[in-house]
Amino acid sequence: MSVLMQGDTTRLRVWDLPTRLFHWSLVASFAAAFITAESEKLRDIHVIAGYTLAGLITFRLLWGFVGGAYSRFAEFLPTPGTVIGYLKSLLKGNPQHHVGHNPAGAVAIFLLLGFGIAATVSGWAVYEDTGGRLMEELHEGASNGMMAIVLIHIAGVIVSSWLHRENLVLAMITGWKKARRDRVSV
Amino acid sequence: MRYLLIVAAVLFAAGARAEVPRDFLSRFEKEAGVAASAERGARFFSTRQGGEWSCASCHTEKPTQAGRHAKTEKAITPLAPAANAERFTDAAKVDKWFRRNCNDTLNRLCSAQEKADVMAWLLSLK
Repeated sequence: MSVLMQGDTTRLRVWDLPTRLFHWSLVASFAAAFITAESEKLRDIHVIAGYTLAGLITFRLLWGFVGGAYSRFAEFLPTPGTVIGYLKSLLKGNPQHHVGHNPAGAVAIFLLLGFGIAATVSGWAVYEDTGGRLMEELHEGASNGMMAIVLIHIAGVIVSSWLHRENLVLAMITGWKKARRDRVSV
Repeated sequence: MRYLLIVAAVLFAAGARAEVPRDFLSRFEKEAGVAASAERGARFFSTRQGGEWSCASCHTEKPTQAGRHAKTEKAITPLAPAANAERFTDAAKVDKWFRRNCNDTLNRLCSAQEKADVMAWLLSLK
């Protein structure tokens, strides 16, 4: 691993404000929906959280085309090659550093958006009493899928923060990330 | 030999059939180890059991009628099998909704006896 000199790194505003607001609002609305899932007394909160989630995902789908450079889908669209390459570098203990989303994180984002769409559409169907058993099963399955991705994402953030000696949670709050000067392209 | 196979097939088909409401009464009675009481079930159903809501808060005191969700005000189809043939025909669904609704009304799971009593009462409604 090459040792970076002080002058080799620079701070870069990677996550734009709408992306950060989206991220933490998604955290809050998904947590609210998950916590209230088992109760009829809290059904109104569950439904409001679900509609909020649907609105946030709609925004993110648009922002993936017109948002800041690092928020665009085209910037982090994963391919089997980039994902396998990244996972190999992790196993070797010499992880590739990506200023924006790394390829594994990118896969998680698309899965999260996909599960989120399935969970909110099926949730709406269940609430409106259409679709029956199938929609109920889909709603539970997609929501549990989201939770699984969230847990993997949190584990990934902790591991990456440690491997790269960079607080990624703080980066999603402030928007600033460390970048090597020679990698700064935007 | 062929006769035996037919008997076996019929028995197998009987084992794989969907539940009928009476199956749940016998299952809960067996789990509880005591006979169910429709009267006790009626009382349990329509009075609060420690939570804010009773069963009747959503299902009404006459569950042969349609109910109304106490929070969302959405219509709920009748709970009594006499008025709604779809009720109590699917074990996974029955277990899921007893779990959810007992937690909402009792802040705990229902005992087998409580479920047996409610089943006995619901089955007695015409």
